[in-house]
Amino acid sequence: MNRMRVFIFLFSLAALSCGRKDDAIEIQFWNFGGTPNFIEWVRNRVDMFNKTHPGVRVVISDKSWNMIREILYANYSAGTAPDIMTLHANEAADYGEAGFFYPINTFPDFEQVKKWYQPNLLESTRYKGNYYGLPGSAIAFVLVCNKDLFDAEGITPPKTWSEFREAARRLTKGTDGDGSIDQYGLVLLGGDKGGFAYRLAPFILKAGGRILSDDLKTVTFNSPRAVAALKLFTDMYQVDHSITPGFLAYTMSEIGDLFCSNKVAMSIEGPWFKVMVEEKSPGKEFYTVPVPVPDDMLDQYDTAPTLQDMVMYPINAHTKHPNEAWEFVKFLRNEEADMSWVQKNLGGIATTVHALNSPEAASRKDWLVYKNELAHALPWPPHPSINAIARNVITPYGEKAIVGELTPSVAMEQAAREAQAILEGRK
Amino acid sequence: MRQVVKAPVMIALALVVLVPFLWTVSTSLKPLPEVNKYPPEWISPNMGLKPYGDMFFYLPFSRYALNSMIVASSATVLTLLIGSLAGFAFARFQFTGKRALLLVFLLSQMLPGASVIIPLFQLLSSTHLYDTHIGLILTHTSILLPFVIWLLYGFFTAIPREVEDAALIDGCSRLSALRRAILPLALPGIGATALFAFLGSWNEFFFALLLTNSDSARTIPVGIGLFVGEYSDVWNQMSAAAVLFSIPPLLLFLLTRRTFVKGLAAGALQ
Amino acid sequence: MKRSTPYLLLAPALLFTAFVLAYPLVQNIVNSFREISLIKGAGSWTGFGNYANVFRDALFWLSFRNTVVYAIVGTVLALLIGLGFALLLNDRIGKITGIAGFLYTIPWVVSPVVAGFAWKWLLNDTFGIANHWLVSAGIVKKGFSWLGNPQTALLCVAVARVWQFYPFAMVMFLAGLQTIPKEQYEAAAVDGTSPLRGFYHITLPNLRSVTSVLVLLGVIWSFNDFNMVFVMTRGGPINASMVLPVLVREYSFVHFDVGKGSALSILVFGLLISLSFVYLKVLSRRESL
Repeated sequence: MNRMRVFIFLFSLAALSCGRKDDAIEIQFWNFGGTPNFIEWVRNRVDMFNKTHPGVRVVISDKSWNMIREILYANYSAGTAPDIMTLHANEAADYGEAGFFYPINTFPDFEQVKKWYQPNLLESTRYKGNYYGLPGSAIAFVLVCNKDLFDAEGITPPKTWSEFREAARRLTKGTDGDGSIDQYGLVLLGGDKGGFAYRLAPFILKAGGRILSDDLKTVTFNSPRAVAALKLFTDMYQVDHSITPGFLAYTMSEIGDLFCSNKVAMSIEGPWFKVMVEEKSPGKEFYTVPVPVPDDMLDQYDTAPTLQDMVMYPINAHTKHPNEAWEFVKFLRNEEADMSWVQKNLGGIATTVHALNSPEAASRKDWLVYKNELAHALPWPPHPSINAIARNVITPYGEKAIVGELTPSVAMEQAAREAQAILEGRK
Repeated sequence: MRQVVKAPVMIALALVVLVPFLWTVSTSLKPLPEVNKYPPEWISPNMGLKPYGDMFFYLPFSRYALNSMIVASSATVLTLLIGSLAGFAFARFQFTGKRALLLVFLLSQMLPGASVIIPLFQLLSSTHLYDTHIGLILTHTSILLPFVIWLLYGFFTAIPREVEDAALIDGCSRLSALRRAILPLALPGIGATALFAFLGSWNEFFFALLLTNSDSARTIPVGIGLFVGEYSDVWNQMSAAAVLFSIPPLLLFLLTRRTFVKGLAAGALQ
Repeated sequence: MKRSTPYLLLAPALLFTAFVLAYPLVQNIVNSFREISLIKGAGSWTGFGNYANVFRDALFWLSFRNTVVYAIVGTVLALLIGLGFALLLNDRIGKITGIAGFLYTIPWVVSPVVAGFAWKWLLNDTFGIANHWLVSAGIVKKGFSWLGNPQTALLCVAVARVWQFYPFAMVMFLAGLQTIPKEQYEAAAVDGTSPLRGFYHITLPNLRSVTSVLVLLGVIWSFNDFNMVFVMTRGGPINASMVLPVLVREYSFVHFDVGKGSALSILVFGLLISLSFVYLKVLSRRESL
């Protein structure tokens, strides 16, 4: 008799837990990467949404950022891709062309939502007339200067290429008296395949060069101005020896370590840098300034464009619950949520007009620099193959030029030829 | 005399060989600001066990450990069962196509992982085995089988037919001859094979990453991979996870060391 | 026993092999003749177009060369070290041998991903312990970048692989050494042979079959080793350590050209089959399969 009771008890328990499966609509949200603070913030946001929207349950899944392509492709091909994901805006063209993403401009309230954001930032998610995601956080590439090293040398952050080169030269030295150089003026990113292109592009853009023509049909990064940008780095590496020799193996984390140990004085970075430095070396200070311009463009110091990148939240084109997904994405990215970017150290820059112009934003020195840069920054051109070009053409050829395998002009010429072939679909 | 000279040499060699592992242990005890410092130091001022605790807040590692255990044990058992049948067939029978079939098993190790993953993924998805323990177990079994069959083939071949024949003569049925006569002799070999299989499944990363999605199915290697972030990596917690992760196989190996080598000696060498 | 018994016993194993070999193989063969973009899906049939693209890609030839170097260095060094340790362990001197033996196998038990990261940190040009020692010993210049230098990157990854693989060789050799009948050595001692000659004439020949198995497995596994290179260098710097398995991933998941990735997979597969056939033919002169 007792056994019977236990059995019934257990059985009902089991039945109850099975039966607890409610009829809520389930939305899969995959979050790729992000700082630990951000991940915590996002989870809270998801919880808040679930509480205030009975009938919808957003399930968040943190995924490995460095295998993002395999994961997305494998799941798309099997039909198990999530409803919402985190992605960089420069993939909008790529995936938009393939029909992976839902055109959010087809939602009835889109025109209203559009007004939340700084216009040029939302434009990065556009491809061929459709918008493919709401902006998450914005990135502009700037120059970060190690305060300890700059102050010790008595120099201020450079504005022109000549000042840049000079600063790097002066800050390259031996510091422990054994005769060898152990501090470098500039560090570049080389060990993250494709990351190098993101360090070169800002200099190209600031110099007045462009990656592709406006109609996206012709490669233009072999223009004299662009080649000059590459030549700047090449000379710094080969002549001044002011760039870290091991840069080909450095990932972002290693750059952070070097910077925090005062082994390098400058780096080309974005808003994540502050978060990273706080984690590795709390209290360490650095100057955030716009990327330098060529000497003859000093008058355009405040207006020349740098490279812009952005995290966005696209919706799966094949989602079964587009309206619920849209509700969640709006909740994730509305003005209230965006203010968190200003208030907490989440790693990026806000994208709504409201947050960008708030007094809190104004009180943060580095934010002013980013805000200004973002106002006229340019993203990678919205061509579906642009990522392939940045990764597989610009990066290897640029690196080859710097280490001396090719001259900058030859490298850019060859790179341009290959990129042109990709543009024309011949590769 | 020999002992006096050899012993320190052997221990010194061990220390040299273990430097990468020891460095990982050292990193696992450091707070993040002290992880990459110049000059590098084995002992840093604020070392402690904090990363080991933090790791469980960052990710549900106890769940991952359970998953790894379930998957690795099940895959080992399944692989041994199926592999023994096959190994026995190869060892005791002559039949047409034997050579070809042996080659087929050898060949199945030769397809690169990146090219197997998509068809495998589609197969598992369509059978609703994606993101399940079973799906991963079946995948691991398939990957481990060729090598396991090879090993067991060798072990079974090394056991002389006479042992079976003697048991049969004594009046045993074929099956009980198998159980009483062969099994005891084959045990060391089977033990060695079990260790290989367990290790193979426990450490497997690539397929585990792409064939699981949720925390309820993820294994530890996948969890460790999540520490490598977009902008920075949590080296210390990752090392802590790696160290903890190495303990079960090390323990297993420690316990089965003698039988392991004895088993291999008994006949892996065919 | 019925004639069908062996086939019945083999059936489950074959079923699993079909799962992980036959189906993907067929898929890859089919895909290699089509133009397939990861994003756009299956396109038109292109005959041998994908194969031609692979052969025309300079990166393919570089990866091929790198993979061969990686396989040879990784296998030969691992076998040499494994044999050395096995000889050391075979000559037991009490408990120490057991302890040392256990310690020597630790690199193998550690996950490849973990091993890759551990070596990466070790070889870091500024913070790595390797440079710290090598520079103090005066062997390298300060801040030499092992993984950032195109000349040394591949070899460093190969060293990491050797570190991971040598215990396997060591254990196999140890087992092999223990099967050598003592009588052979005793007879040689009676004959007055020196230990060195004994090594050449007794030990090595007896280890022949172990060695051949190890070489075959070592080469096959190196050719398909994705984890080590991916974790340590991703194929860099500037593709200096790009190997075939990582290139397959590049084609399929980075360039999004699945047709080309499949063609490369089939080529690698074919290459390994041919290598194995030749190798086994040479072996079967001694033993019967």
